[in-house]
Amino acid sequence: MSTLRERSPAGYALAAPAGLWMLGALVVPTIFIAWVSLWAARGFTLASPLTLANYAKFFTRPAYVRVLGDTVQQALVMMLITGVIGYSIAYFLVVHVRHPGLQLAVFLLLVVPFWTSALIRTIGWIPFLGVNGVINQVLLLTGIVDRPVEAFLFSRTGITLSQVSFYTLLATGPVVYTLRNIPPSLPEAAQCLRATPLRVFWRIVFPLTLPGVMIGQILVFLNVMADFATAQAIGGHKHAFLGNLVILLYESGQLAFAAVVAVLLMIAMLLGVAVLLKVVDIRRLGES
Amino acid sequence: MIPWRTRQRLVRAALGTITVLFLAYQWLPMLTMALLSFTDPEGGTTFPMRGVSLHWYRELLRVQMVDDFKPPMARSLALAGACSITTAALALAAAQAMRGRLRGSGAYFYLILLGAMAPGLLVGFGVALLARVFGFGLAWYTSTFAVHIVWTLPFGFLTMLAVFNRFDRRLEEAALTLRATRWTAFWRITFPLVLPGVIGAALFGFTLSYDEFARSLFATGPEQTLPLVIYAQFDRQLQPTLYAIGTLTTAVSLGAVALFATLLRLVRRRTLTSDQPSKKESQP
Repeated sequence: MSTLRERSPAGYALAAPAGLWMLGALVVPTIFIAWVSLWAARGFTLASPLTLANYAKFFTRPAYVRVLGDTVQQALVMMLITGVIGYSIAYFLVVHVRHPGLQLAVFLLLVVPFWTSALIRTIGWIPFLGVNGVINQVLLLTGIVDRPVEAFLFSRTGITLSQVSFYTLLATGPVVYTLRNIPPSLPEAAQCLRATPLRVFWRIVFPLTLPGVMIGQILVFLNVMADFATAQAIGGHKHAFLGNLVILLYESGQLAFAAVVAVLLMIAMLLGVAVLLKVVDIRRLGES
Repeated sequence: MIPWRTRQRLVRAALGTITVLFLAYQWLPMLTMALLSFTDPEGGTTFPMRGVSLHWYRELLRVQMVDDFKPPMARSLALAGACSITTAALALAAAQAMRGRLRGSGAYFYLILLGAMAPGLLVGFGVALLARVFGFGLAWYTSTFAVHIVWTLPFGFLTMLAVFNRFDRRLEEAALTLRATRWTAFWRITFPLVLPGVIGAALFGFTLSYDEFARSLFATGPEQTLPLVIYAQFDRQLQPTLYAIGTLTTAVSLGAVALFATLLRLVRRRTLTSDQPSKKESQP
């Protein structure tokens, strides 16, 4: 017994507002992008003849294909970096910080920036990255370099540096969750059977956290693929990912072609998620 | 061979160092911005910082600056408030509906989650294309509001699902056994119990909308929200005024989090005390 009868009309009525909102403001616009991407370049109307010419145009221009490659490459680099740092933080937080108050404090320090503006945080990186920036001042002071390095601002390095500070949280959270759910008896049993700590980690703990790792990887992948603001703010219009290309084409009035890039971005994201989900499944099969 | 206790200590020290370094790494840009916003009129946008003053905050109060930043700030706050209430209401209804084991509830779950996964820029782009073809206008209180809810609702929905999973159904069943109507039982028993989740959903609605940039970019008309105006200003010229406004808006975000956290604590305390009635209350 509950406050809602099973399969009652009231249930459908309750589900309808949120469902219709998502259909109207998310699914319809997305499908519309796919439709527009097939429109002929001239004349932006519903009556436009359908063509694949825009897609052909994308793949015959090396500059555009390179942007696609750069975007995917950036996502892969970010997954690797945030995966390693994120797992280390999660493991330390759950296994090594025993005091509950301290655990909460570290957790809050980690999570609170999520509730502030990513744009402001990006701007906050600028004083660090410039030729006279903090990083260069520290490098000069410690004598690691004798001339300021110009490679930070307006560069992929700078974009990566700031993206790591935004997206590591996404790789940490799910691992924290899965680590917390491991019953202590499992690693203890393995220890009783004289497994070394390293072996306990690789054979017991790590496989159990794998779903969390994969969810984190998916979240980082999706967010980096869709990120254009960091590239625009830090990269200073010198570096473009697919999102930046959409904006560029939209602003120059090439709407159908912008839609093509948008569709390709979405396809790349879906493919990536499909591949990542497959990786988890394969490992699960290997265990059983 | 190093004894395992020493090795464990080494691992712990290494992981601890990574954690502390990362936390510093994550917070330093925000703290630096706050620090540099107090630089002197001659101070630049990076170190060395020159003196300490409120110059750049006073600069924000100049007529032209007020005209630039105040209306967008008011719009962003109004939009965030609307998103907060809407997210809480829709998430509560949707999560309660999921308890009724509807046909297609699996697909429904993914439909709502899709809002958090879909690239924000493209959702706004799709809405902008629709507006062009069908000739409707874009505005922060219509199209921007619609795409912000797409972003905030999944977070509220997941929060509510988690709360409904954990709450004690027997209390609800007891009310129904005592012949409360489903309506009464929901509002008198269920709702107060899941109220912390509703507050959490409202917090997500507020802060995620208040800070949103990607979804607003294409979907907003000529009357822009605060993040858009900040970005436009940043694109033109980086001045310490931006650090001042950035520090202020971060303070608003953190203030909202603190406010909702306080609210949550008050609600929890109230629920706890009514769970275990004190002697004074239980006496007639």
